[in-house]
Amino acid sequence: MAIYSFWVFDRHCNCIFDREWTLKSNQSSGTTNSKLNEDTAKLLYGMVYSLRSISQKLAGNEAHNEIRTIATGKYRAHILCTASGLWFILLSDLKQEDLSHVLRYLYGEIYVKTVAHNWLSPIDFAESEAEKRGQGFRKIRNRNFLLRVEQFLGPMVN
Amino acid sequence: MDSNQTPEMSEHQRQQLQFQLFQESLPKVNEMVYWMLLNETVPLAISVENNLSKSSTSEPEASQSLERELDSKLTLSPTNDLPSHKLLQQYLTADEEKQAKIKQRLSNTGFLLGQKLSQLLIFSNNPNISFKNMDLLTVMKFVCRDVWRQMYGKQIDNLKTNHRGTFYLLDYNYKPIESFALEENLSAQEHTLIEPYLEIPCGVIRGVLESLGFQEEGQVVCNATIVEPPESSGTTITGTPPAISFNVQVLSTQ
Amino acid sequence: MSSSTNNTPVPSTSSKKSLKVFSDDIWKNKTAKINAELFTLTYGSIVSQLCTDYERDFAKVNNQLYSMGYNIGVRLIEDFLARTALPRCDSLARTSEVITICAFKVFLNVTPQVGNWSSNKDSFSLFLEENPLSEFVELPMDAAKELWYSNILCGVLKGALEMVQMDCDVWFVNDVLKGDQTTELRIKLNRVLKDEIPAGED
Repeated sequence: MAIYSFWVFDRHCNCIFDREWTLKSNQSSGTTNSKLNEDTAKLLYGMVYSLRSISQKLAGNEAHNEIRTIATGKYRAHILCTASGLWFILLSDLKQEDLSHVLRYLYGEIYVKTVAHNWLSPIDFAESEAEKRGQGFRKIRNRNFLLRVEQFLGPMVN
Repeated sequence: MDSNQTPEMSEHQRQQLQFQLFQESLPKVNEMVYWMLLNETVPLAISVENNLSKSSTSEPEASQSLERELDSKLTLSPTNDLPSHKLLQQYLTADEEKQAKIKQRLSNTGFLLGQKLSQLLIFSNNPNISFKNMDLLTVMKFVCRDVWRQMYGKQIDNLKTNHRGTFYLLDYNYKPIESFALEENLSAQEHTLIEPYLEIPCGVIRGVLESLGFQEEGQVVCNATIVEPPESSGTTITGTPPAISFNVQVLSTQ
Repeated sequence: MSSSTNNTPVPSTSSKKSLKVFSDDIWKNKTAKINAELFTLTYGSIVSQLCTDYERDFAKVNNQLYSMGYNIGVRLIEDFLARTALPRCDSLARTSEVITICAFKVFLNVTPQVGNWSSNKDSFSLFLEENPLSEFVELPMDAAKELWYSNILCGVLKGALEMVQMDCDVWFVNDVLKGDQTTELRIKLNRVLKDEIPAGED
């Protein structure tokens, strides 16, 4: 099992959290909320956005045809889009067929408990109009979220 | 409840069981709505303070009455109030007087709740409580066990006293702040933000004691402080919230 | 590049009846609970302190309860969506079912009735036969005229619905605490908000 990276996007198309692991052998390697990941985040967002629109159009009259995974030659992207407009995305190797349960846990047990229930944390990370539509920069920085993401995903890195 | 077991069950145990069944049969709500309601009381108190200080510094009467007319017709739009965490941040920059007013408001809310809560607990036929001839220590035990369990689903972890009327109620996992974390590291700011969250229980303690006969003005003084968790079990990075000591001083009236 | 999509459209919750079974199960088996009376008393203490703070200017109390609710609603919705994994509703009729049969059940263990649909189907009422916020509450004369005691609910609904892109007005029409026959809360959908797209992409 190998997870490469984890991303959270908010309703304003902003990446509010990113975690990338660079060494398979080291759970604490890589970067968290890195400036260097800005462009990758935008590309990832664009890819999911496009495929999501297409899959919804293909569904025709049938409602809700949410995209769940996208596979390329090298990796697989696992996607959870909530009705509130949050996107949770994991990039893994091709062996991982379905990580939807992992994404559900990241949302329900980690995000909800350490961000939504944490009154010291913002729930909307864009503080003005200028920070909406993918132009924001604020990240989830509270230690409970960071710590629980590491504890939960760390063992899946290698 | 198996009849085979009853011979071994004392009268007290039987009452306990009955009490427990009674508690379980009471109407319930999702505890999450209760925690969220409690969490929002502090931003609420800050917002109220903002509004009151705003209206005391002149406001054109005409626009106010027009606004009110609209408001009473349709209670719409969240009246551009700030999000909870922004209101909380105002507490950090508020002067001492404003902070004190905010805390007082919360403490008063707790006092009202404490009075009602003790009625609720008295009428619930709890076999653990006898309200006849309660001495101060018994009263404090009642707060630690029954009041806390009712409000926070757990008991106070440790009760200490100096035997001169001061009690220290230690809660190592004070539920309302369980999910709180501001940044990567625990900071002084975060401690300051926790302080107003300790006012409601302080008020509750005063309210409960008042309805149990400690009624004189200023007889019960209660404040709370953030303390080190017991035997630092390497909890600095695990994200455990700090421990709280609720300090209750009861002056004798004779 | 291959893409696999969700072919099973929201198992077991699409009909009204299955939504009820689904919600009852969450309430019964997956929800930590507290005594409703503690919740009622806590809310009561908050309202009565507010009435004192605003010197019984109830219009201000109503507003404050509403904005308090809004701030809760924008957070509560995430808890709700994580618990239920429900997708966005495709009609307002469906929204009315999810609110009453699921959300009210899961959080407050009551199920309001839906009714009074407007002719163009853009608004409806919730009738609360039971209301855990105001159980055993009686209002003094002056408050009974102007105070919408449970106005926090309007704010919660407003905030929660806005987070799923529904811009609604929510307000109380009647309340048994004021001597009305029913407790009726009205929800009017103004518009469905568009999801944002990155700047420069439109």
